[in-house]
Amino acid sequence: MLFPTLEFGIFFLIVFTVGWGLRALPEPRKYFLVGASYLFYGWWDWRFTALLFATTLINYLGGLALGSLARPGLRKLVVGITVAVDLGVLAFFKYYGFFLTSLDTLLTTLGLHRDLPFMEIILPIGISFFTFQGISYVVDVYRGHVAAERSLLDVMLFKSFFPQLVAGPIVRAADFIPQLHAPARLTREHVAVGTVLVLTGLAKKMVIANYLATDLVDPIFFDPTAVGALDLLIGIYGYAVQIYCDFSGYSDIAIGVAALLGYRFRENFDQPYRAASLQDFWRRWHISLSSWLRDYLYIPLGGSRYGEAKTYRNLFLTMFLGGVWHGAAWTFVFWGSFHGAMLGIERFVKSKLDELAPPNADEEGPLTRLGNFAQHVVGVIWTFHFVCFAWIFFRADSFGTARDYLKGLGDWTGPHDHVTPFIVGLIVLGMLFQFTPRNLGRELAVTIRALPSPLLGLLLGAGIIAIWAVAPEGVAPFIYFQF
Amino acid sequence: MLDLLEDRTANDERVQAVRLADLEREEKTRRNAVRFIRAMWIVVAMLLLFNSSQLVTVVNGFGVGPLQDAVVALSTTWNEQMEKNGLTKPVAIIRATVERWRSTDWTELKASIAPQTPRREGAIELRGALGDAKG
Repeated sequence: MLFPTLEFGIFFLIVFTVGWGLRALPEPRKYFLVGASYLFYGWWDWRFTALLFATTLINYLGGLALGSLARPGLRKLVVGITVAVDLGVLAFFKYYGFFLTSLDTLLTTLGLHRDLPFMEIILPIGISFFTFQGISYVVDVYRGHVAAERSLLDVMLFKSFFPQLVAGPIVRAADFIPQLHAPARLTREHVAVGTVLVLTGLAKKMVIANYLATDLVDPIFFDPTAVGALDLLIGIYGYAVQIYCDFSGYSDIAIGVAALLGYRFRENFDQPYRAASLQDFWRRWHISLSSWLRDYLYIPLGGSRYGEAKTYRNLFLTMFLGGVWHGAAWTFVFWGSFHGAMLGIERFVKSKLDELAPPNADEEGPLTRLGNFAQHVVGVIWTFHFVCFAWIFFRADSFGTARDYLKGLGDWTGPHDHVTPFIVGLIVLGMLFQFTPRNLGRELAVTIRALPSPLLGLLLGAGIIAIWAVAPEGVAPFIYFQF
Repeated sequence: MLDLLEDRTANDERVQAVRLADLEREEKTRRNAVRFIRAMWIVVAMLLLFNSSQLVTVVNGFGVGPLQDAVVALSTTWNEQMEKNGLTKPVAIIRATVERWRSTDWTELKASIAPQTPRREGAIELRGALGDAKG
């Protein structure tokens, strides 16, 4: 069940009505929301609901064991086993085929060909997201950041809650489970924020992302040798805007739907293409994943506590594994490694520059301000192009396609049929979202907070109809569903 | 924007006041839920009136059977009625406009935004005609 469909609209109408009808009965309300979430998940393939339940049960039991054990050694063993089971399930479904294919290629290259046990494995949708949520729960209980949850129902709802189940944001137990213990409430602010986020999310996904995908990015990446350099160049910018609008659009709808059901998720995107450095970019892009990687990977590896060399190693490993998390392909490995390496280089260059010319807060003359502004603008442009370069490997289905793409950028003699005024307009519009005032959405929500229901209905209805009318025919799946 | 969702009464220590606040909150929750349910039904009505062609597309995917056939027939008739009354026109106009923008190329765009220069051909033709007459 995809968000921008009539099926989801009917589903949400029922969930909202029954869910708030049960507000005085917290336990039945949670049962209902868990049932609705499993129905939402089972809509793709009902068999995987068993997998979702099994992994939830393992996390629940792991949490209970951690809550009752006092000996540090035993606690470490329990958290280790639980995380290993979570990662084992993820590895089997997501990386088994990739591992065997890579091994087969390696053995064949070395002249040691063997018949390997290949299997047809269907990737359960959203497995990377709910696995990371499960791990964060168990590790947070181990660290004492959250108490072990006694109610299996609460853990089930935390892990399967349908707005974030298949493509995030990755919700933390410490953020979500306390909300399940408090009485459910719906304020005018919840309604206003939910309405604004659902409408902006639909517009980003259905209009900007879908047109850029069908008219520009998909045909160009299908065969980069068939188009000219201008198409290829604009194609990268187009993909940068498409993936932002696609994924942040999904996050907006997820956060908005959760708000309408009375729950608060954290922000997942913060105008990432206005970042003036790669480090800044990763504080703004897919925030729930980058903060997850920081808290459960970078910091346990030692973070920046054990000297410069180990900091660079930890940065690289974190981004490398972040790349592997995205998909079982060497292009994702390269994408993550590139970001890891560049973050290290950026850190090194910045530290050297700071040594050469220490930043001085006292100097606030007009020339300094102008210099800082110019440095910021160059930083934004530089970072955006670094990120765009890496997106080529993220989007290309193989290194061959990425190589053709980069090679084609040097040949300006080919045709450029895909760069139309409409496409350029969409890219400009998508980029404008990056530079609007940060509190624009908030102001919109405050404006519509007091609207009576007929006006709110007219606004929501007119918005949905306008988006539907402007958007291309058909519903393309969200990019992050494949992860 | 998400700071609007924070619970500002969470630290209230006075129990009676909290109880009253809880009751008030419960009433507010009920009112807001009803408010949004009403808004959603208005959305449903608007979609049925102005976007009825989408309904036909969706029900056509239901498969084959007596009930499905009845639903398809009903939604097709409904869509025809909406078309007859002109309610599907706004969506059709928006679609046509977007399609026109989508198919516009750079030459057409330049032509549409270039300043309109006064036509001189007529005068030249006229001068030519006079010259011919003289000749």
